[in-house]
Amino acid sequence: MMSFLLPCPNCGPRRVDEFSYGGELQARPSADVSPSAWGHYLYGRRNAAGLQTEWWYHRLGCGRWFLAERDTVTNEAQRTYWRPTAGDPPAPLQGAKVLDWRALP
Amino acid sequence: MSDGAFRFDGRTIPIRAGDTIAIALYRAGVRIFSRSFKYHRPRGLLCGTGRCANCLMQVGPTPNVRACVTPAEPGLDVRHQNAWPTLELDLLAVNDRLSFLLPPGFYYKTFIRPRSFWPLYEGVLRRAAGLGRIDLAHRPEERYDKIHRHTDVLVVGGGPAGIAAALAAADAGADVILADEQDAPGGHMRWEPGAAGAFAGASERLARHPRVELFMGAVAFGAYEGGLIALHQGTRLIGVRCHELVVATGRHEYPVVFPENDLPGVMLAAAVRRLLRQGVAPGGRAVVVTTGSEGYALAAELSHAGVQVVALADARPPGEGSASVAELLRARQVALFPGHGIVRARGRRHVSGAVLAPLDAAGRVQPSEGVSLACDVIVIAGVTTPEVALLRQSGCAFELDETGEPRLRTKAPHVHAAGAVLGTASVGDQIAEGERVGRAAARAAGIPVVAESGAEPRRANGRSTHRTIAPLTGAQAGGGKAILCTCEDITADDVAYAVAEGFDHAELVKRYLTVSMGPCQGRMCGRAAGELCAAATGRTLAATGATTARPPVQSVPLGVLAGRRLEPVQRTPMHQRHEHAAAVWMDAGAWRRPRAYGDPAEEVRAVRERVGLIDVSTLGKLDLQGRDAVRLLERVYTNRFANLPVGRVRYAVACDDAGIVLDDGTVARLGPERYFVTTTTSGITQMESWLRWWTEGTGWCAHAVNVTSTYAAVNLAGPRARDVLARLTTLDLSPAALPYLGAAEGVVAGIRTLLLRIGFVGELGFEMHFPADYGEAMWDALLEAGAEFGIRPFGVEAQRVLRLEKGHLIVTQDTDALTSILEADMAWACKLDKEDFIGQSALRRLADGGLRQRLVGFEVPAGQLPNEGDQVLDKRGSPVGRVTSARRSPTLGRVIGLAWLPVENGLTAEEFSIRSDGGTVQAMVIATPFYDPSGTRMRS
Repeated sequence: MMSFLLPCPNCGPRRVDEFSYGGELQARPSADVSPSAWGHYLYGRRNAAGLQTEWWYHRLGCGRWFLAERDTVTNEAQRTYWRPTAGDPPAPLQGAKVLDWRALP
Repeated sequence: MSDGAFRFDGRTIPIRAGDTIAIALYRAGVRIFSRSFKYHRPRGLLCGTGRCANCLMQVGPTPNVRACVTPAEPGLDVRHQNAWPTLELDLLAVNDRLSFLLPPGFYYKTFIRPRSFWPLYEGVLRRAAGLGRIDLAHRPEERYDKIHRHTDVLVVGGGPAGIAAALAAADAGADVILADEQDAPGGHMRWEPGAAGAFAGASERLARHPRVELFMGAVAFGAYEGGLIALHQGTRLIGVRCHELVVATGRHEYPVVFPENDLPGVMLAAAVRRLLRQGVAPGGRAVVVTTGSEGYALAAELSHAGVQVVALADARPPGEGSASVAELLRARQVALFPGHGIVRARGRRHVSGAVLAPLDAAGRVQPSEGVSLACDVIVIAGVTTPEVALLRQSGCAFELDETGEPRLRTKAPHVHAAGAVLGTASVGDQIAEGERVGRAAARAAGIPVVAESGAEPRRANGRSTHRTIAPLTGAQAGGGKAILCTCEDITADDVAYAVAEGFDHAELVKRYLTVSMGPCQGRMCGRAAGELCAAATGRTLAATGATTARPPVQSVPLGVLAGRRLEPVQRTPMHQRHEHAAAVWMDAGAWRRPRAYGDPAEEVRAVRERVGLIDVSTLGKLDLQGRDAVRLLERVYTNRFANLPVGRVRYAVACDDAGIVLDDGTVARLGPERYFVTTTTSGITQMESWLRWWTEGTGWCAHAVNVTSTYAAVNLAGPRARDVLARLTTLDLSPAALPYLGAAEGVVAGIRTLLLRIGFVGELGFEMHFPADYGEAMWDALLEAGAEFGIRPFGVEAQRVLRLEKGHLIVTQDTDALTSILEADMAWACKLDKEDFIGQSALRRLADGGLRQRLVGFEVPAGQLPNEGDQVLDKRGSPVGRVTSARRSPTLGRVIGLAWLPVENGLTAEEFSIRSDGGTVQAMVIATPFYDPSGTRMRS
């Protein structure tokens, strides 16, 4: 039974079933990549057993989307934050995937 | 039913105050309480604490009630389970004689051939499976409820350590919840002779403490992530989210394994104590087998109650027992057998004797040196194991020492333990440990508590004062069945059998034999199973380990997990009007919508010939504003919106990045940066989240507010629609001022309204959105104004027919998770040449590479109506597509529908077959729309 607490940056720690899961954070490729690269973006996932940066939506709360760095094995959300819009993004935690923020949609 | 009695299998059983059902039955002479699951062996009162499966009975309509912990109440109707015709004479006991045909896992090897016998096998197995009967006609009157709590410290277990921990934490300033499975605090001490009053003071303090909440009669059955502990209390499920968990669950008894150890008359000390407390003698002649000092006090109690204690077998070597107690017992003619264990129980349906024998250095009984004694009760005392399930579920790691005792190796964060569960033996030490742990838990929860100074007090290792008796299999004893798992009827020899078959790991043995998978969930059999497994595989106990601990710790009724029956229903603002018009209701998701008010065909005709009115308040609605609102629309929807002028509405389809249709709706531009977006009824949640995700991801200035329940909406459709509206508004409704696909805001019937000229049903139509508070007023006004034009309200069914006649699809009915917008015949709404939108690259590839399937319109000349969902067949009869919509059209006088057909060489078939209701229907592809193809009626 999934019952862990997820700290929404706006509302604080709430039960995880107040949220919708939005998948791993991925850079969206430009439209002219090869079909296999596009297919990988659509259907391929890193699926890490460990820290993962992912999207969550507070559907039964503030309705904001935010990012979380969660350990997929223990379900501990180590850190949650808004998608960075300006300046340097927060340095990813040890083991989390490093991304080019500018390539995000 | 007279006061003070209940019925058991037709007999009247008197009750005395404080009786449980089992004790009242025992007093009345009942000795066989159930028949075992597989072999139908007679079973009697064993554990007395609701942990084994021996006393499960049917009480009224409820099966599997634990009679030994359920209070006896007047008027109950108690029946036996799993025996026919009676407990005394059960014909299925023949299974015990045929046990050689029913070895473990026999069901994996039998009931296979001949295959034609499967229906017969299934019937037999269904009847044989399970315990108890569910009365399908019974409507439970109980209300199952859920309670949620947050607290600083949750203490599970209200014995000496738990009480001390709860009081210490609460005194330090923490909010505390204390839960215990018994109806009052005290734990096992409540049953110790002379100790009953010892906890009166503490219980009083607990009850009056402002920071303590008590849940009595509550079993903590599961520990979940995030510090969530689930408790089962009667018909309630209590979810406690605690900062710190203190587990003080103590120990429980379990039976020694030896041949015929499951005979009625073999009892654990707790059951005996509970009988004695209620003034019931367990028998006339008792043999007590003990592994520690507990048996001596128990023998004295039995003797005091008038039971002749024939012998006391102490597993410990001579010289360990208390000399004074030994003298006392000898004075009462109790034969002492130090260093002895039990070989077998004698008797057919009840204990009639016991065979005792000396133990060797390893704790194994020597059957060849047995001493036979006549008795009718065998009591097992001192054989206990800690209740570590909750700790293990919380992430604490345990390892088994050489006696099989689980020892805590690593504690999980926020989890504490105190008392007998850790092996702490003396009550004084348990209390001291509880106090220390309670304060530590409060400090960990953030309460400022002075840190403890000094070292942890030395805990007396209680377990070395007991001597384990190794399980004895039937084979080792020279015959008989030594029952390891009483719930599932697994014998001790079965473990070696499983290992011999290749299941040589504890987890495999468990799954193959199903040992520990019954109502006791391993509490009665887990430890012995581990010992037998280690012996059979030649490993140490530590290497064998224990199987993974998972919730629930004991069985929980499904009703408790489900909670109260809640069926939220969404109603539109016009609900009462539909109710009054005798609407036939249907469920559209969580919404209640009128399916029809009479004959749907009449409603269809009314819309086509005159004017109709439908409540479409369930549509999803979004108020979208912002500098970048148009960029968001361009990105998310496939249609072009950059060129949408103010005062116009346009059809909109949203796809995902694979080009699959997500939702459709409309977008109306009401101002330079103000849009009104509609979605399907069921798609609003998804679209709101989708739009917000893209806004978050791009950082664009676009804000969507879900106004679905803010506005009511109706669709006024039909050739006379304009005439009706003209009666209620001064807005210029002429085709020039408000053309097809126009949007206007104004006042209709005195109510501020947004009018959208769109036509889902294919007639001149106005979709009107207005504040929900005025739903009924607008509905009444429209019906009144339309009366002279023959207006009819129409429901969802008529709307479905009308839209089908126009070939309009319904997303998620005519589309699914694999259908793209191009294949759904909506290329006109998909502007592949505009700037990047979601789905564009996939759709471009699809357009180049060719579609694999197409949504086509069809008719059935012969007039049969296929079902929605029927499969389309190819020439060989294989399914290659499906029918998604089908209706008899009153307007066209034909059966029409939409279906998915495969595309081959760029073409779809012109005729195809549909498998429907066991037969085949021939269909012909025709172009859509079926009705008014040029759309002149919509655009009038």
